[in-house]
Amino acid sequence: MKNYKIKILIVAIALVNAIACTKEKKAVYEVNEVTIKGDNNPKVRAKTTLEFISIAYQDILGATVSTAQLSSLSIAYTAFGDKKLIEDMIIKNLLNEPGAIIPTKASMTADPAKFVDETIKKIFNRNPNEYEKYYFTNLITTNTNVTPEAIYYALMTSEEYRYY
Amino acid sequence: MRRRDFLKKTLTAAAGAVTLPYILPSGRLFAATGARKANHVVFCMFAGGVRNFESVQKAEGNLLRTMLNGTEPITSDIAAAMEPLPNSPFAQPLQNYGTLYKEFRYSTGPTGHYNGHTTAITGTYTQVDLNIRDHPATPTIFEYYRKHNTSSQSAMNTWWVANNLGPYPALNYSKDLNYGAAYGANFIAPTFLISPQGFDALGNMKTFSSAEEAIVTNIKQYVNSNFALQFLDNDAGIINQAQDVKTLQNFILDKFNKAVSGQYVNPWNLASANIMNNDMYNILFAEEIIKEFKPELLVVNMQDVDACHSNFTGYCNNLRKADYAVAHLWETIQNTPGMANDTIMIVAPEHGRNLVPNSIVDAYGRKALDHSSDATSREIFCLVLGPPNVVKQNNVINSIKGESIDIVPTIANILGFDNSIAGQLQGSLLVDAFY
Repeated sequence: MKNYKIKILIVAIALVNAIACTKEKKAVYEVNEVTIKGDNNPKVRAKTTLEFISIAYQDILGATVSTAQLSSLSIAYTAFGDKKLIEDMIIKNLLNEPGAIIPTKASMTADPAKFVDETIKKIFNRNPNEYEKYYFTNLITTNTNVTPEAIYYALMTSEEYRYY
Repeated sequence: MRRRDFLKKTLTAAAGAVTLPYILPSGRLFAATGARKANHVVFCMFAGGVRNFESVQKAEGNLLRTMLNGTEPITSDIAAAMEPLPNSPFAQPLQNYGTLYKEFRYSTGPTGHYNGHTTAITGTYTQVDLNIRDHPATPTIFEYYRKHNTSSQSAMNTWWVANNLGPYPALNYSKDLNYGAAYGANFIAPTFLISPQGFDALGNMKTFSSAEEAIVTNIKQYVNSNFALQFLDNDAGIINQAQDVKTLQNFILDKFNKAVSGQYVNPWNLASANIMNNDMYNILFAEEIIKEFKPELLVVNMQDVDACHSNFTGYCNNLRKADYAVAHLWETIQNTPGMANDTIMIVAPEHGRNLVPNSIVDAYGRKALDHSSDATSREIFCLVLGPPNVVKQNNVINSIKGESIDIVPTIANILGFDNSIAGQLQGSLLVDAFY
């Protein structure tokens, strides 16, 4: 009886040692490189009036809108009931500002792929997809009437530009 | 630079009822619901708080000489403060061309400007919980009109011309789920839009060739088709139809050009350009809309008489200016083909002012008046003008009759869609004004 108890104790100790002494495996968690621009994140929030004005100003003039300019733009915005109509006018007005930072037509046609990539990133805050790359590059290379201003205007008055 | 100065100084420096059914935005088909009394309605809110004592009761003499009969002289102690104004363009005061309700009422609700405006535009009295940061809870006359009228549903046909911003832009449509922005009016605050700030923001637009515009349309169609959301009614305010957007933008640019070229310096040829106040300019721009678009329904307001909180004499002077502006507006309507003899104009303050003055005394020793819901501040007038075969002419109603909430159902009746909204409104037709 005594030997039996000793055997059980030895087996138990052996079991415990077997579990406790298992060498821990080193887990390596690999993460793919990701861009912080959320290409797959849907834009679902409409920009407020002030957000729209500030972002449009920054996108075209490369500077922060001043308080005085923001006030002027806000007054125009609220003094007419059709906001899309006023936004259209605001964008056209910003595009006509002497300090507007827009690529030249020559640089656009010299490297359409680069223009499309940079413009979509700047305006839509994401990378262009393959369809967009093809569409815009094809448009630029096949239609001599395409201007950078027309592309900027079209993108900045699109539905996507109204959201973030 | 102040807005009014921009209009003056930039200038100086530069030296039948259609009965066919139609499809509504909702896809619902409506047919004609009733005969019209006229094809156009202009509702001029003689607002800012006008007491019957100084208007129809002529306690300071006849301050409203283009509207009301009588040659009672202006009280001598304030007469010198009255700025010169031209004679009425009409042979007789306007009351002879319509029906005057001398004891109209703003019966319930706070006598606040926005409450008064909301009541007049929705036909529903408001209470102290009115949210000035939101659209009204009940539909506006614009929405009733666009949803139920028998002619056209375009926003080009429906205008709300306000003399101020603040909460007033919200009155072009309600948050009623059955109505809303899809049926709203084109809102404009012209003395803010056609201003130095407005010009800075909008006055120098890039123009595109027709070839470029075609490209823009193409690109927008492409990118919009790949984006799930649309910035539409409500969030975007009202949306005009694509073909109307360019017309409206050209209309705005034309007003900038007129301002810059000096055409708004004393446009009414007053004795001095400085006499032209914000009310007059607001009426001027309403007239521009009338001439350009011939809207079926236009609401315009004035509020400069609210100077009365601190300047009673200035209030009297501004009452005279507002009176002249009403006559000028009616003259423009009568000189506009398509609207002449086919327009009914309703003129009414949003509310009155208190019986008891406050403690502020003006330069002429007169005490100022607030408006805080006493009985006197609920007493107003209403003038209905129109073609002699439709509106009773030279008709004066001296008894207490009619109230603010009756204006919306009256407009609905004039434009022939009152049957479609029967039961939805608190007020009723101002029957005494019509044959």
